[in-house]
Amino acid sequence: MSSWADTVSSAPPPATTASDRGAISARGLRRTFGDTVAVDTLDLDVPTGAVFGLLGPDGAGKSTLIRMLATVLVPTAGEASVFGHSVTTERDAVTPRIGYMSQRFSMYPDLSVAENLEFFATIRGVGRADRRTRSQALLASMGLDEFTRRQAQHLSGGMKQKLMLATTLMHEPDLLLLDEPTTGVDPVSRREFWRILAGLHRAGKTVLVATPYMDEAERCTHIAFLDGGRIKQSGTPESIKALVPGRLLEVSATDPRAALAVVRTLPGVASVHLLGDVVRVLWEAPSEPVGPLTSALVAAGLHGVGVREISPDMETVFAFLAEADAPPGAGSEVAS
Amino acid sequence: MMATLTRIGAIVVKEFRHLLRDPRMLLAVVITPVIQLLLFAYAISFDVENVPTLVVDLDQTQTSRTYLEQYEASPFFEVVAHGSTLADVDTAFDQNTARVAIVIQAGFARSLAAGEQAQVSVMVDGSEPNAAKVSQAYSVAINQLYTQQLTRQWADAQGLDLSSVGMLEPRVRTWYNPERRSSDFLIPGLMVVIIAIVTVQQTAVTLVRERDLGTEEQLEVSPLRKVELMVGKLLPWTLIAFAEVAMITGLGRTVFGIPMRGDFWALAVGAALFVFASLGMGLLISAVAPSLDTANILAMLIAFLPSFLLSGLAFALDQIPVVLQWISYGFPARYMVTISRGVFLKGAGFPEVWPELAALAVYAVVMIVISSVLYGRRARR
Amino acid sequence: MSAKRVRLLIWKEFTQLRRDPLLIRLLLLMPVLQLIMFGYVVAVDVRNLSTAVVDLDQTVASRQLQAAFSGSGYFTITRTPASEADLQPLLDSGTIKVALVIPQGTQDRLGRGETAPIGIIVDGSDSQISAIGSGYASQIIAQFNTDRRTSSGAQLDAPGIDARVRVMFNPTLDPINTMIPGLIAAIMMISLMVIMSQAVVKERESGTLEQMFVTPIKATEYLIGKLTPYAALATAQMALVALGGLYWFKVPFNGSFWVVLVGLLLFMFTCLGLGLLISLVSRTRHQAQQAVMFLMIPTMVLSGFIFPIQSMPPAIQPLTNLIPLTFALEVLRGAFVKGSGFEALAVPMLALAGFGVVIFGASIIATRRRIAE
Repeated sequence: MSSWADTVSSAPPPATTASDRGAISARGLRRTFGDTVAVDTLDLDVPTGAVFGLLGPDGAGKSTLIRMLATVLVPTAGEASVFGHSVTTERDAVTPRIGYMSQRFSMYPDLSVAENLEFFATIRGVGRADRRTRSQALLASMGLDEFTRRQAQHLSGGMKQKLMLATTLMHEPDLLLLDEPTTGVDPVSRREFWRILAGLHRAGKTVLVATPYMDEAERCTHIAFLDGGRIKQSGTPESIKALVPGRLLEVSATDPRAALAVVRTLPGVASVHLLGDVVRVLWEAPSEPVGPLTSALVAAGLHGVGVREISPDMETVFAFLAEADAPPGAGSEVAS
Repeated sequence: MMATLTRIGAIVVKEFRHLLRDPRMLLAVVITPVIQLLLFAYAISFDVENVPTLVVDLDQTQTSRTYLEQYEASPFFEVVAHGSTLADVDTAFDQNTARVAIVIQAGFARSLAAGEQAQVSVMVDGSEPNAAKVSQAYSVAINQLYTQQLTRQWADAQGLDLSSVGMLEPRVRTWYNPERRSSDFLIPGLMVVIIAIVTVQQTAVTLVRERDLGTEEQLEVSPLRKVELMVGKLLPWTLIAFAEVAMITGLGRTVFGIPMRGDFWALAVGAALFVFASLGMGLLISAVAPSLDTANILAMLIAFLPSFLLSGLAFALDQIPVVLQWISYGFPARYMVTISRGVFLKGAGFPEVWPELAALAVYAVVMIVISSVLYGRRARR
Repeated sequence: MSAKRVRLLIWKEFTQLRRDPLLIRLLLLMPVLQLIMFGYVVAVDVRNLSTAVVDLDQTVASRQLQAAFSGSGYFTITRTPASEADLQPLLDSGTIKVALVIPQGTQDRLGRGETAPIGIIVDGSDSQISAIGSGYASQIIAQFNTDRRTSSGAQLDAPGIDARVRVMFNPTLDPINTMIPGLIAAIMMISLMVIMSQAVVKERESGTLEQMFVTPIKATEYLIGKLTPYAALATAQMALVALGGLYWFKVPFNGSFWVVLVGLLLFMFTCLGLGLLISLVSRTRHQAQQAVMFLMIPTMVLSGFIFPIQSMPPAIQPLTNLIPLTFALEVLRGAFVKGSGFEALAVPMLALAGFGVVIFGASIIATRRRIAE
C-alpha cells in the first residue's frame, strides 16, 4: 500500500544480549484520574530495536501510558521498567536513556531553533563539542539548517515537530517515546519524519510511538491497539493482518452507495464498508470473487463498475476488528 | 558540581533571553521603576506650605493691614485673594480656591486702641485634614505672638507688671531631615517597594509560565534538579534587583541629594537578604498558584498592597491597629524600610539594624524551603 | 439592535463570572481589603506619639507644661532622660518620636514677662509625624500660654487678638472622612479597569472572541453586554465601601445623593473606556495586568487621593488635571465633606463629562474597528 513501508524493513533488530528483557517491560500498569480509569491494568513488552506503534482512538490511554513510561506520571498501580530499571524507583537510571516527545509543543516559543537545542542539550549534560557536532548533523538531516535563527513560535507545524525530535535526540537516547508526533502535520512532513525514524531504527534505537494514523502502523515492527485503557490486540503487522480471514476487494462505481447495498446482499461477503468513494469488501468464501461481484453489480444496473483485489491495510483490519467487537446491529457502514 | 553549575548557567542564559525578547517586560522592569521613583520622590509630599489663603478685611485700617502682614510674611500662608464679604469665604471654600480664610471684623483698630480684645475669625477648610491641622497650629501661633507684642508694648507704655505677659515660645528642630524634605523620607522606603514589586511579581509568574508552556515536562525528564531550576530562575531577578538598588541609590544621591549617613554595607546586606526574601515570596506564590492569572493577582495583592501600605514607607505604623501591625511583620518590606531609612538618614550600621537583618534572613530561608517542597510535590501529580 | 441578544450576552457574562471562583473572591475581597487598608492605615490620625521630656527647669511651670502635653492625647511621655545628650540614642532607635526640652530658668523668664524658648525635637524621618507632631506641640504650648494668662488673676485690660479658629467641614479633622469618599471613586476605577480588561482579554486568549464575531451579534450589542455586568459589579463594590464607611467608620455624609450619583456615573464612563482600551492593547492577561499597573500608579499618586495636590511642586500640579480621578475625588469629597451641590462642583463635573466622552468614545470606536477587522 504505502511505498515507504519498506523503509522500515522487517529485518530483525540487531542482536542483543541474552539478559535483555527488552527496552520496555510493563506489568499490571494502571492509572486513574479521580473516577476515570485512563490505563487499565495493562501489560506491555517492547523489544529492543523495535519500532512499536501504539494505535487507538482519542482517549484510549496512549498518552497516559507513554507518560508513565517516560517517568513523568506516576502509575496508580503496577510497575514498568525501561532497560531493566524501574520507572518509579530508578528514575535517574531511566531518564538519561530516554527521549520523550509530548503531544503539545514543548519548546520555548521565543527562543530560536538553535537556542532551544542548545538549552535542552546543556540541561541534559551534553558537552559543548558534542552539542556543536550533533546539532549541526541533526539540523542538516532534518532540513532545519536554514532556520537555526528562527524563533520556535514562527515555525510551521512540521518544523516544530522536527525541532522537538531533534531536541530529544541531542543526548543520543536509546529509547524514544513519541506521543502523536505527526498529528496535525502535513503529509510531506509526515513522510520525512518517518524517514528519520527509519534511520534511527537502522541505527539500533528503540522507538515507541503513539499515533492515530493507521497508515503509520504499517511502518512499525510491532503494533498494539489500545482502547479504553486496555490493549485489544498486539503483534507484528503481519500477525494482525492475518487475523482477518478472507481477501480484501475494492469496488468502485459511479454510485458507491448503491454498490454497497448490492454487495452487502451477496453470499460470500463477510463485511462491507464505505471508504471515501469506494466500497471495501471482505470476501470470505474460498471462491474467486472478482467475476461474481462484477456481474452482480452490472446486473443491478450500476455503471462504472470496477472490482480489484488489494492487500489488507491496517485501516481495514482495525475496522474489521472493531466491528467484531461491536454489539450486533451496529451497522457495517464505517465512515472513512 | 560542574554539571550543576552548567545547568544553572543554561537556565540563567535562557531567562535573560526571555527577558530581552519581551519589550513589555523590559518596560515593566526597567523603565517603570525609574518613572515611579521620579514621580514619587519629586511629586509626593506631605509638607504643608503656601496654603492658599483668603483675606477679608472689613476694617481696612492701617492697624488691620499691619496685622495682616504677619500672614503675608509667613512662608506658610500664601494670600491669594482679598475678599470683600463673608460670602466670598463660602465661595472660595466651595471652589477650593482657598483653604484658609482670615476675616477681620470692622472695628478692629478701634478695639485695639481702646485696650480691648479685637475679633479675628480664622476659618480653616477641614477637607484636607493634614493641612488643616497645621494651619490651625500656625494661625494660633501667629496670633499669640502678635498678641504678646501688642500687650508688651501696651504694658510698657503703661508701666505695668509684666509677669503675666511671659509666654513660652516653641522652637522646633527636626532631626534627620532638617529641611523636612519628603524625598529624603520617601526614597529609602520607595526603593524597597519598587524592588519588592518587581521581584515578587515577576518570579511569581516565572515558574507558572513554565508549566503553561509545556516545557516543564521536558525539564522533568532531564537531570535538572528542582533546586537548580529555582536558583537558575531566581538569579537573573536577583541581579536585576541589585542593579535597581544601585540605580535608585545613585539617582537618590545625585538627583535628589539624599544623604547616606550610615553604613553602606549594612544596606547592601539588607538589600541582598530582602531580594531573596521577596524572591522566596514570589516563588511561593508560583508554587501554589493553579494558574497564571491567580499568580498575577496574588502577586499584586501580596507584593503591592502590603509593601506599599504596611511597610512604613509612607504611612506611620505605630498608630495602626495592633492586628494590622502584626500582619505587617509578616512581610519583608517592613524590615527593609527600617533598615533603609536607618542607614540613609539615621546613620545606622550593623549594630542598629541586626534584628531586622536577622528577620530578613529567616524569612528568606523559610520561604525558599517551603516553596521548594511545595513545588516538588505538585510537579509530579 | 436586539434586546434579546444583549440580555443573552449579559447572562453569559454573569455565568462565566460565577464559574471563575477566583474572580468572585477577588471582587468581594478587594473592597473589604481596601477599606481596611485605607481606613486603618492611610487615614490614621497622629496620636499617642512616644515622647521624651528633658526637664532642666524642674519647676511648677515645667511640670504643668508636661501635664499639658501628656493630657492632650497626642503625646505619651515614655521617657524622662536627664540631659539632651541622652536623646540621641532614643531618637536613633525610634523609641521616641518627639522630645520636649525645657531649659533651665524657664519659670524665671516667664515671671519676668519674657519669652521662654521651649525645645521641641521631632523625628524628621517620618514626615507626617514631624509636621503634625510639631503642629500639635505648638498648639499645646499656645494653649498653655492662654491658660496662664487667664488664670494669672489680673485680667489685663490689654489689647490682644481674640482669634476664633474654626474648622469648616470635617471639624474633627479625621483623615478618614476624606479617605472613604475618595476610596469609593478609586475602587470603581480599579475594579472596572482591572476586571474588565482581564475579562475581555481572557476571551481573546481563549479564542471565543473570534467565534462571537461570526455570529449575528453586532459590535454595539457586544459592548453593552460586556460592559453592563461589570458596571453592575462595580456599583455593588462601591455600595459596600460606602456602607462600610458610613456605618463602620462613621464617616459623615453632608451632601446630596444625586451629586454623588451623577459624578460617579460620569466617572464610570471614563473607567469603562480605559478598561476597554487596555484590553485592546494587550494580547495576554499578564500584559493587561501590567498595563493596568502602569496606569494606576501615577493615577493613585498624582490624583490627590493620598498625597495632597497642594503639597506637590508647582510644576507638577497642572499635570494632575490630566487625571480623571482627580476630578472624581473633588466631586465625592465635595459632596461628602462639604455638602457641595451641583453649582459648586460644576467645574469638576464638566471635566468628568469631558473625559467620559473622549475616552469612552475613543474606546468604542477602537473596539468596533477591531471587531470589524
